[in-house]
Amino acid sequence: MGNPLLLFWWRLVRQEDDRPPARTSRLLASAASGTEASAPVFLVLRRMRAPLIVLIVIFAVSVLGLTLVPGEDAAGRPYRMGFFDAFYVMSYTATTIGFGELPHPFTPSQRMWVTVSIFLSVIGWAYAIGSLLALLQDRAFRAALALQHVTRKVGRLGEPFLLLAGYGRAGELLAHALDRLGRRFVVLDRAPERIDDLELDSFHADVPALAGDARDPGHLAVAGLGSPSCEAVVALADDDEANLTVVMAAALLRPDLPVIARATSPAMAERMRAFGDPTVINPFDRYGDHLCLALRAPATYQLLTWFEGGPGAGLPARGRPPGGGRWVVCGYGRLGRSLAADLRTQGLAVTVVDPAPGAADEDLVVGDGVDPDVLARAGLATAVGFVAGTDNDATNLSLVAAARRGNPGLFVGARQNRSPSAPLFAAMGVDALLVPTEVVAREVYAQLATPLLWRFLREMPREGDAWAAQLIERLTDVCGRHLQALWTVPLTAQAAPALTGWLAAGGARLGDLLRNPEDRDRPLHALVLLVLRDGSATLAPGPGFVLAPGDELLLAGWAAARRALATTLAVDAVREYVVTGHRVPAGWVWRRLSRDARPDPRTSPDRSGVPR
Amino acid sequence: MNLEKVVFGFFVVLAATLNFGFFLGDIDDPTVHNRYELFAAVVVNLIATVLKFGDRTQIGAVHLATSLVADLQLIAAALVLGYATYVSTAGLTPATTASVVSLSGGALLANLVSVVLLVVETVSFHRG
Repeated sequence: MGNPLLLFWWRLVRQEDDRPPARTSRLLASAASGTEASAPVFLVLRRMRAPLIVLIVIFAVSVLGLTLVPGEDAAGRPYRMGFFDAFYVMSYTATTIGFGELPHPFTPSQRMWVTVSIFLSVIGWAYAIGSLLALLQDRAFRAALALQHVTRKVGRLGEPFLLLAGYGRAGELLAHALDRLGRRFVVLDRAPERIDDLELDSFHADVPALAGDARDPGHLAVAGLGSPSCEAVVALADDDEANLTVVMAAALLRPDLPVIARATSPAMAERMRAFGDPTVINPFDRYGDHLCLALRAPATYQLLTWFEGGPGAGLPARGRPPGGGRWVVCGYGRLGRSLAADLRTQGLAVTVVDPAPGAADEDLVVGDGVDPDVLARAGLATAVGFVAGTDNDATNLSLVAAARRGNPGLFVGARQNRSPSAPLFAAMGVDALLVPTEVVAREVYAQLATPLLWRFLREMPREGDAWAAQLIERLTDVCGRHLQALWTVPLTAQAAPALTGWLAAGGARLGDLLRNPEDRDRPLHALVLLVLRDGSATLAPGPGFVLAPGDELLLAGWAAARRALATTLAVDAVREYVVTGHRVPAGWVWRRLSRDARPDPRTSPDRSGVPR
Repeated sequence: MNLEKVVFGFFVVLAATLNFGFFLGDIDDPTVHNRYELFAAVVVNLIATVLKFGDRTQIGAVHLATSLVADLQLIAAALVLGYATYVSTAGLTPATTASVVSLSGGALLANLVSVVLLVVETVSFHRG
């Protein structure tokens, strides 16, 4: 349908327009500690001083000795070797090549001296080569090399990238999800083993990775905090303190960058929020929110987890939450506190079981939850829900088993701390599983992948459960039970040149736009999830929704639909066909001819919208 | 007293003095220019060069540069001398002697710069 050349040209032009303006702010102070160690050449020179001097001295002594030791020529006359001959003999002797006795056969005294020289020079070479090899194995040297390597790679990264500080389990999940989206990132982690893992891992794009402490602003600078291409900082270290330092460094050195950080306590989250406006993700807090959402609105929760799974995620099963009733929460740590508070705000009664008697809670049973007596005292038989929330996987598994034996009809939630335990928890069939690292990775992904998706996920719970169930139905009708591509389309003159006239004329209905350019009677396999206009969002608008210039659309659908829509947005002839059904020639000559032939000028394509 | 500084100063000055000793005398008279002295000058200059490796200050960089120049000139002088003695049919003529000595004279200039740098460094260190 559309002229492929026009489309190609438009894409080329658009890409240039789309590139974000280079940020001019530069990091001045913190790069110093990074460059300090980044000169491996100097390190080599410094370390090789002693071996090289030993080698020179041995060589000089041997050559000098050879010119001084008396020799004989072929006729038996006394002869002293010249410097050139001596240097030649020592060169091939010291390097173990050994051409023989030149220019005349040696006298016994010369042979004695050459014997001494051979042993001396072997020691000299062994020392020099040994030092060089030891230097190559040296940790400091390798660290300096790696630092320089990463500095160079980050410097060459022309496209926008994310700075990922902390490459634990959550970092790894996030990195793979971002890589699938084609986003670039730089990884910084304190543990060299994690960086080795990353280098062995398979990514589509090259990932510069630095083994360094994220608490050092110099390392952050090397990893690209000062680069104009850096578009966001994500702090996912296991250590809250390190994350706080990253937030501080980013807020103070690059206040223009968005920051996403993980925190495991509300106090730490507050400390982070004191610096700029970071997005703080507390996995335990989010689990409580999600569990409450799952209890209140199962379809909304289903939609949320589906979208957070990213492209390719299968539609998760809709949970069947218990109605009102009492909950038993085992473990009153960070998760237990947050969860108990969340459940109580939902108007549910909560009994907490914890071995430590110190926890101040109105309904606390002190004791080990694995003990059947303790569970009986907590009133398990009359409870509707049970959460095993300790920081030990074995304990959580046995708690779930004990609870199920005591009351088979329970809704069971559990916390999985270590990723190797995943198959066991899967086999247990837990109703609501909390994997803190996955919660963090999914949340960060949803925020970074498409900003409009994040907006959608935040606004969605307000629409209610029935609305969510209906949207899931519409989505599965359009693109099946696996989530396809999610993408954003701004209806601006740059991104959608063919639409300018149509949008300005008013009455641009959404349903007209989402038609197949091959055959307009068939709809595109895509669904608009959200329309953002002047900061206010409309969720899942129907086909009658009237679009305006400057709207931003978030779409979900097949990749083919995305390509087809791009053609509609860029090529006038395609847009004309899709919207009105008139087939308009794409070429200039044919357009001229057909315009002259057609009586009604109103339906002719708008020439001002021709792509440049 | 820093032993490293002693060794460093010793080699820098020794390189200059040996070079000066070889350079001294009639420019085209081979008998007043000892080849052992040239050999010693080459070796000591090489050692002085290696000692200057890895210093990243500005003065250290200039130090290294002057040493490299001296090495280059002295090795060129040794090569010319070797060529005249072993390869050339004419042997060691006054003309070749003159070129050997003038090459070493260039190296002497570089070595003098090195010594001046050493003195400057020492003086500024004491003032600071």
